[in-house]
Amino acid sequence: MTGPGLDRPANEWPVASLDPIGRAKVLAASIPSAAFHLGVIDAPYEAVWSHAIDFENFTPQFDSQVDRVVIHNRAEEGDVTHLRMTATSHGISLPFRVRIEDGFCMMRGQARLYLVVMAAVPEDGGARTRFLHMEAIPRPGAGQFRRSIQREVDSDFSNLKRLAESGFPECPA
Amino acid sequence: MDHLVRAAQRGDPEAMDALVRDLMPYVGRVCGAIALDRGDDAVQETFIAVLKSLGSLREPAALKGWVRRIAVRESIRVAGGRTVAMDPDIMPLPEAALADIATSLDIRATLAALAPEQRAMLVLRDVDGLSEAEIARALRVPVGTVKSRVHRARAAFRGRWQP
Repeated sequence: MTGPGLDRPANEWPVASLDPIGRAKVLAASIPSAAFHLGVIDAPYEAVWSHAIDFENFTPQFDSQVDRVVIHNRAEEGDVTHLRMTATSHGISLPFRVRIEDGFCMMRGQARLYLVVMAAVPEDGGARTRFLHMEAIPRPGAGQFRRSIQREVDSDFSNLKRLAESGFPECPA
Repeated sequence: MDHLVRAAQRGDPEAMDALVRDLMPYVGRVCGAIALDRGDDAVQETFIAVLKSLGSLREPAALKGWVRRIAVRESIRVAGGRTVAMDPDIMPLPEAALADIATSLDIRATLAALAPEQRAMLVLRDVDGLSEAEIARALRVPVGTVKSRVHRARAAFRGRWQP
């Protein structure tokens, strides 16, 4: 017996999805120390996202805890870019493994010492950007750090929004 | 997949995200067909529930069936349906719905005429390919309930689309 009417291709059935913001929220809800800030940036998606993943040039400008980022290795795998990089904070260097997709980026510090996730989706046809910035210490017992992490992500988001909405004036072209 | 599940159970965020990516097409089909316009919300709630309770999954090989139950439950809940086992006596397929099915123009409109629990049965039977016994186990309802509901809903679809 074939499916009734359902003998139509299954791809005609409604299919739901999870956009990059939802994907980041799923992770945030599953990691006890995770804190995130979600908001709308009044700047074009393409500009916001390209700056957000410009780690060497832009990250030290909006993340006050990061002094310097050096990318050591870059590999492309279809629509995914993998990086290995080092972020230096207060003189301490931490290696990160990075996965970048369009609108989603996960940076995992060595030995799960730190996790950063950024996610973005275009709004108003790409004229504005819904942006989520999340950080966490993905280790057992790290939930106690959530409040301080929240302050950090709030600050990072605020800086990113200010720079984006003023046209990234301090950034290289 | 076993390795991924074990790593996600240990709290590895990369493994958690990889698990979400791997399960996304399947969960998207289940949630989309049951929760319809709230499908994206149902997907998000499903994955939150999956990752939060992943530690309770003892056998990674049982992952798909376990995720299916969660996806169906969350889709029905998000769509405003009942979250407990269904009582066939309080869930008649409304005549108005049958009339809508007879005149509706697409699958989404046809599905929207059904209760979320009934959509769940159709999805599991005709998209997922589960047997009626498997659906009964997944939804925790009697096999007879599954048979009657699937039969009536499929008949409605057949009447609409067969030449």
